[in-house]
Amino acid sequence: MSLAHDPNSSDLPSSSTMASTIAPTSQNSPAGLPPSVFTLPQTAQLEALYTIIRDKDTSRGDFLFYSDRIIRLLVEEALNHLPVVAKSVQTPTGATYDGLGFEGKICGVSILRAGEAMEAGLREVCRSVRIGKILIQRDEETALPKLFYSKFPQDIASRYVLLLDPMLATGGSAMKAVEVLVEHGVPEDRIIFVNLISSPEGLKTFCAKYPTLRVITGWIDKGLNEQAYIIPGLGDFGERRYCI
Amino acid sequence: MALRARLSSELPAKLVVPAMPTPTTITPTREHKFKTNTILASHGRPPWYDETGKRISDAFVIGIAGGSASGKTHVARQIVKALGSVPTVVILSQDSFYKWHTPAEIELAYASKFDFDHPDALDMPMFASCLRDLKEGKQSNIPIYSFKEHQRLDEKKYLYGATIIIAEGIMALNDPSLRALYDLKIFVQCDSDLMLARRIKRDVTERGREVEGILEQYLRYVKPSYDNFVGPTSRHADIIVPGSDNNVAIDLISTHVRRQLAERATPFRKNIAATPMATPMEERASFWSTNKDHASLIVLPQTHQLIGIYTIIRDKTTKTQDFIFFVDRLAMFLMEKAMEQLPYRSKTVTTPIGADALGKELDAKYICGVSVLRAGGPLEKGLQRVLNDVPMGSLLVQTDTGSGEPLLLHVMLPEYIRLRHLAVDTWVFLLDAQIGTGAAAFMAIRSLLDHGVRQDHIIFVTFLVARSGGITILHRAFPQVKVVCGAVDEVLREAWLDPYDKDLGSDAPNTNAERRKCYIVEPGMGQIGDRYYL
Repeated sequence: MSLAHDPNSSDLPSSSTMASTIAPTSQNSPAGLPPSVFTLPQTAQLEALYTIIRDKDTSRGDFLFYSDRIIRLLVEEALNHLPVVAKSVQTPTGATYDGLGFEGKICGVSILRAGEAMEAGLREVCRSVRIGKILIQRDEETALPKLFYSKFPQDIASRYVLLLDPMLATGGSAMKAVEVLVEHGVPEDRIIFVNLISSPEGLKTFCAKYPTLRVITGWIDKGLNEQAYIIPGLGDFGERRYCI
Repeated sequence: MALRARLSSELPAKLVVPAMPTPTTITPTREHKFKTNTILASHGRPPWYDETGKRISDAFVIGIAGGSASGKTHVARQIVKALGSVPTVVILSQDSFYKWHTPAEIELAYASKFDFDHPDALDMPMFASCLRDLKEGKQSNIPIYSFKEHQRLDEKKYLYGATIIIAEGIMALNDPSLRALYDLKIFVQCDSDLMLARRIKRDVTERGREVEGILEQYLRYVKPSYDNFVGPTSRHADIIVPGSDNNVAIDLISTHVRRQLAERATPFRKNIAATPMATPMEERASFWSTNKDHASLIVLPQTHQLIGIYTIIRDKTTKTQDFIFFVDRLAMFLMEKAMEQLPYRSKTVTTPIGADALGKELDAKYICGVSVLRAGGPLEKGLQRVLNDVPMGSLLVQTDTGSGEPLLLHVMLPEYIRLRHLAVDTWVFLLDAQIGTGAAAFMAIRSLLDHGVRQDHIIFVTFLVARSGGITILHRAFPQVKVVCGAVDEVLREAWLDPYDKDLGSDAPNTNAERRKCYIVEPGMGQIGDRYYL
């Protein structure tokens, strides 16, 4: 294999590897985070993308364009956590290339409504991927998240699930969604939760409850305010994406 | 002088070269209709620089003066014709350089009372600076003068890449700053009665003008101008050519020019850019060992997805639709990485919930893409994914089947690069599928530098780099250019190509059914352009 000169690159797997045993090389976990949390490389360019979508004066068109760019990066990173197998191919020049092949079936599950914004990004990379949906709302009586609706592919138990929700604030609805998935037979360690912005509080609670579930987050913000909004955050993602 | 209205303001003008190797021909209809800035070309432009990236020589500049209707244009065209297969020739007419006129002057011009035959009517400093830029191999945006409106137009004509420049006009030898630029000065000497006769004939038949008006103008402006300003400049000429029956003179001139060009062309052949295998082993080794955290070569993190994608696109059994899909995906990866190379500055914004967020914003004045056709095309899509309205230019570089040298066949650049004062602040993503020998990359980078783009503002984005290929020389010549790639392949080897070999064939449609030498990156991914487009 032609190994490129990259300071981040580690040894490549030589045989079939499960996602849970080999860490992807593009990870960049800040210190103090649960080991199951992975962020995108925190580059100036990524920060610039976030600055645009955080800005309350950003137009909806720009919000769509730039949030789509981040979503695409997140989805690509999430896919790195799927299993691969060693695969050799013949190139058109007649040489042999020892590479990797993708393994395992996947499906996306979006948490309505904001999570749907991430489906297109997933479909761009994985054509015709199956996508399930979950609607979770706060129960007026108990103030706890409650499942209102779910629709999954029949064989979801045999698939890796990319759980899509742009914002992780308290983690309440994400945890409820995972609960529902587990009830449908999806092992916890086969779920990858993908989001754009998370709060440290939410991450902590979530990862404490589901330690083997991987979280791919684009940016970890300062914290939550009294209304449980992420600070500085970007406001209501679904609202900005679909309504304003 | 109203006579000049025959020069239509719709100028022809195509920069550089047609893509097909056609012999230099001049269509007779054009000859009559247009005079300014015709570019005649036979084939692509061979390297005009050496392996250090420096330009080898200036363009060859010929100045042709002579009275009005003495046959300057004819002489210019005959020289071009006699030279045969010269890469790129620009004929620059002094008519382009009439000054910007005041409303009062325009009124005079419409009344045929403005003296266009006086040296002061011309913007000599601008003429000289445009000519100097072209001579030094830079781009030039020359003014366009409308004889209909008697005014310089806002629009300009972009020229770049001439090997020979012919500046012609009655005052071509008048100004010392112009004369200093010429490598050869020609004066076309013609009897004044012959010139007058030609003039009358031309204006009557082509313009439908009255003989009386023609004569009045001739006596008032043209004749005094010739006697006072044009005729005397013949003493500056290296050679005086008769205005008719001048075949011998043309032959002498073209022989001289050809010899001059041949002398300048000598270094082309030992151009290492075309045969980069000549890089010393030690230099290559040191490039790659210091390259661990080299700022100039950025390789994408080798993640599972990335290697998986490369496995698919390298596989010769991959179907076209999958190849296209995964190349597009890869292009996005590369462009996102390339975007990281741009400068960013701090910016604070307020979020919808009222909190301040300290972030960053792009700190680049102008950004554009330039793809090396064809195989740079797939990367364009990736660039447009990250900057949806980015201006895209293109360069067509092909390998000369005979000499193996790269040839620049077509240049179409965004305004940010065409205009030199913008080019210095422009960041360019240069896109090509792979860097094997580096010859095309070399030529593309040199072209951008010629336009005034800063070396450290060029980011070369590519799928593959051959470790043993031209990357080392490229880096030595242009150390500040950054290269972003997805993979580094070990081998670059020579191969002989059969014509129409779809798997290995080069980008050039090989019609002459000859086997030819090329370089192959291994393991590589075959001919990316063919697999993506054909």
